[in-house]
Amino acid sequence: MAPSADPETSPSISTTNTDLQPFFLLHKASSRKPSSKTRRRIDLSPKASDASAQEYNDNSRFETFKLLWSNTEFIIKDVLKNLNTTVFDGIDKWVHASFDAIHACRTPDFTTATSMYPIPNNVPIGAQIFTALLFTKNVESVDDISTFDDLGAHLRSSGCLVANLTSIDFSAKNGVGGCLKTLLRQFLLAGIDAPEMSILASWYNEQENYDKPLIVIIDDVERCSSSVLNDFILMLSACLYLSVCEFNLGTPAERMDAVIEAVLLRSFQSVNIGKHVSTFLRNYFLRHDGTLTLFVKALRIATAQQGLDGENNLLREPAMKRALELPSLQRFCETRGNCIDWVSALSELKRLHQLWSSLVMCLYEVGRYHKISLLDLYCEMLKLKLQNFGANDLNLVEKDYTTSVHDNQSPGCLQDKGYVVRAFQMLRDLSAMELCKILDRWEMLTRGIEEIHEKVKELQSQITLEVKQSRHDLRKESKRPAARTYKNDKTNNSTINEKVASFLQSMFREYIQSIESIPLQEIIFFDNVDNLNTALIGDPRRRIQADLLESRKLLKCSCCSKNDGVLVPSMHDTSIMYTLVQEHGDLINVHEWFHSFMAVISNPPLKAKKKLRMSPSPKKRKDSKEARTKTDASIQAVTELQITGLLRMPTKRRPDYVQRVAFGL
Amino acid sequence: MESNDLEEEEFGFSRNYFLAKELCSSSKKSARKVSDINLVDEQELREAYAKLEFKHEKEINNLVNSYRKSYAEWVFMLRCGFGLLMYGFGSKKGLIEDFASTALTDYSVVVINGYLQSINLKQVTVTLAELLMEQLKPQRKLENHPKNQQPFHTQSMDDLISFLDGPHLDDGESFVCVVVNNIDGPALRDSESQQYLARLAACSHILMVASTDHVNAPLLWNKKMVHTEFNWYWYHVPTYVPYKVEGIFFPPILAHSGSAQTVKTASIVLQSLTPNAQNVFKVVADHQLANPDGEGKWLRMPLNNLYTVCRECFLVSSQITLNAHLTEFKDHELVKTRRNSDGEDCLYIPLTSDALQKLIHEISQ
Repeated sequence: MAPSADPETSPSISTTNTDLQPFFLLHKASSRKPSSKTRRRIDLSPKASDASAQEYNDNSRFETFKLLWSNTEFIIKDVLKNLNTTVFDGIDKWVHASFDAIHACRTPDFTTATSMYPIPNNVPIGAQIFTALLFTKNVESVDDISTFDDLGAHLRSSGCLVANLTSIDFSAKNGVGGCLKTLLRQFLLAGIDAPEMSILASWYNEQENYDKPLIVIIDDVERCSSSVLNDFILMLSACLYLSVCEFNLGTPAERMDAVIEAVLLRSFQSVNIGKHVSTFLRNYFLRHDGTLTLFVKALRIATAQQGLDGENNLLREPAMKRALELPSLQRFCETRGNCIDWVSALSELKRLHQLWSSLVMCLYEVGRYHKISLLDLYCEMLKLKLQNFGANDLNLVEKDYTTSVHDNQSPGCLQDKGYVVRAFQMLRDLSAMELCKILDRWEMLTRGIEEIHEKVKELQSQITLEVKQSRHDLRKESKRPAARTYKNDKTNNSTINEKVASFLQSMFREYIQSIESIPLQEIIFFDNVDNLNTALIGDPRRRIQADLLESRKLLKCSCCSKNDGVLVPSMHDTSIMYTLVQEHGDLINVHEWFHSFMAVISNPPLKAKKKLRMSPSPKKRKDSKEARTKTDASIQAVTELQITGLLRMPTKRRPDYVQRVAFGL
Repeated sequence: MESNDLEEEEFGFSRNYFLAKELCSSSKKSARKVSDINLVDEQELREAYAKLEFKHEKEINNLVNSYRKSYAEWVFMLRCGFGLLMYGFGSKKGLIEDFASTALTDYSVVVINGYLQSINLKQVTVTLAELLMEQLKPQRKLENHPKNQQPFHTQSMDDLISFLDGPHLDDGESFVCVVVNNIDGPALRDSESQQYLARLAACSHILMVASTDHVNAPLLWNKKMVHTEFNWYWYHVPTYVPYKVEGIFFPPILAHSGSAQTVKTASIVLQSLTPNAQNVFKVVADHQLANPDGEGKWLRMPLNNLYTVCRECFLVSSQITLNAHLTEFKDHELVKTRRNSDGEDCLYIPLTSDALQKLIHEISQ
């Protein structure tokens, strides 16, 4: 609790009575029923009018967030669902085929209510548990939580009875009873205290459930306790034979690309990220995390932070004023004769963004042949500078690049100008057939964007004609020597390729502006990478150490900041203790450490560091009292270090030493 | 480029580690002992803490107060569906409770003190469900839910969680806020508690604000918990406020780890036993105090002697009863056995004579 100097202003709540209770009710919801419009009340501002303005602001921010995020979330869910549809359909087919197989071999005279499906003699199919293994191609199971929920929903919609179990249900602690309980809970929709297989069997034999396949989905099966899983399978059937069928889901990178395409490129009503944030997220995805979940969470944080900044809520006056000062808008207005025209700026923003996105997608279509991921391309496109699109520049870049293209680039390292140039290079190497396919795709991608679409169509017809022509020539020349034909063919192709490449290049030159020059880009492209980083990942290990080593910076006190880098008695005790730790190796002799601390807090700053005083032998009563206080301070400091986990306490084997846990920030 | 920075950083870390190791092995290990320091009793220490004046009180207050202007942002993030995780050096108990009591007045707030030794999360969940029920009551008069007729404390954890997560007839803003002080504290450090907390945090009617102090706290959670259940939004809020309550349960490093603590625990154990058992213990203690040997140790009491003495005093009627008592003592490490040179099992109490006298005095009261 904060020691309260001024009871009016400092957060001082008397919690002493409740400190030792495991939990307690701090307060109940205020009796004032929050209405749907004005439910936020923070009495931080003194004036009532300020409070209501604050309330209004908070609500409008929240509404903005809700609108943007629900849109984004919907898109993401939809994309992921669509990605899995083919696999899910496959599983559905397999379920029904297996179920029909069981039905076909069922003996008509079964009466046993205790077996799941009757086991007819000598019919192997009845003795199988049909099992599908769904491979997620993903180390982390977190991305697939929604996949399995979706699968459950998909199968339910096709008339199956589904239970979703996870590895938590298969813990050794709860045993097989635990998973049976969850199973019954999900099938019967009621909690049952004494789970038994016969309950399930009799439920299944009821009229409305009979004739429906019973599906058990087990998510994250690697983490299940194997003995419990074994018991569970034994319980489901008297036999152990599993008839296994395999299905595969997409890789995380594929999903990532699909999400980027849908959220960042195709949708105008969702959050967008700038070059720093996108590069940060890309690197984090490739090097550390590898999950889409983190990316989605980052988008959510970005949406929230953008909502908080309030700049994208242009209806509000202060935000509008701030927006007027945005450099991108000012530049835009300068080109338009210095009159601020919101409508045209916004529509220009939308137009340029659409153009930009569709051209990125066009390039990605080409890059796919070289397995360039959209994530890489997207990050690089955001970073590109306008001048790079001059014909000469691009060629120059290509020359530089071709020398290093086959170097083994580590996958986590974002290479400058690499992917875009590689995609262009690719375009020049494609065969005529592939080129036609790409043009078809471009035609689809640019629909609704008049500037490009017409030109693409024009090019498409031109190229198709030329390809036909060259085939015709080829047939004509087929009697000529083979080498000649080949050469001719190649020249033909390369001219076609060159045409397409230079078309795309000219499109880039004409329509792609670097992101900085798009008006109001600061509003739509969230690019505060520091804020995102701290909110998303936190870094307790580094930050807590930094708090201790640089306490004077954060406390901003006048007494300690004068002596930069030197330990002074006035510093925070734990801070002194931890700074002293830095001078030791991985083991710290408690006795010495304690005396260095005593030396620091009793001596003037300059002598403090070197002088180690031996065990104090107090002569006067006053001295002893003082020493006691210092001892107490040091012990409190050690306890605090222990709470932060920065020290390992003495053990029986080495009772006089503590161990360092962290080395360097 | 940033990749270089990263490598540099990783290199820096390993370099620091090996330098530290080297420093330790090259310099002679100091032989100084903790016991050379003028040690104090834990009890005295605790008393001294309370009176200890802390430095920079004014600056700390300013720092803590400076976070007040972020309260609006924190509430906003809570409403956006994030859980707030406060970290940074210093006790954050005062800060987050102040935040909850000024800025979260629209929601009921339950505080969990994770720094304590044990917490019953089922009880917490029952309280949360009751609070939510109370909040929803005005709206659900017409609704007849047969499941809710059962009182909450008899429902299973799964039922409670699905009630807290369930869609209810409301405007979507009926929340109960859970404030967890030290979510990485001793009571909550096991994975089961964290799983329950994560499931609670994921409920649609629960908001969560938590503080963490340990540098390795993130290791408590897997990605599913961090990103989808808790959905943490990290805030770095160092306060430098002393960890007063949080530190109570840590054994202090420089206190006499011996007598005071053991006497206290031993007396608690003994007081919970039957009077006969206490008397048997006294017999062993009396023997030990009456027969100090030259080296500050005591002649141990052979098991047979003990049986004879106890029988004479009508404390036990058979060897079996005595053995039952002794097992109890041994389980709590009140008594230890060692075989003497004659091959007899002998008993002794691993305490100094001062401590033993104090203990006898305490249980005789």
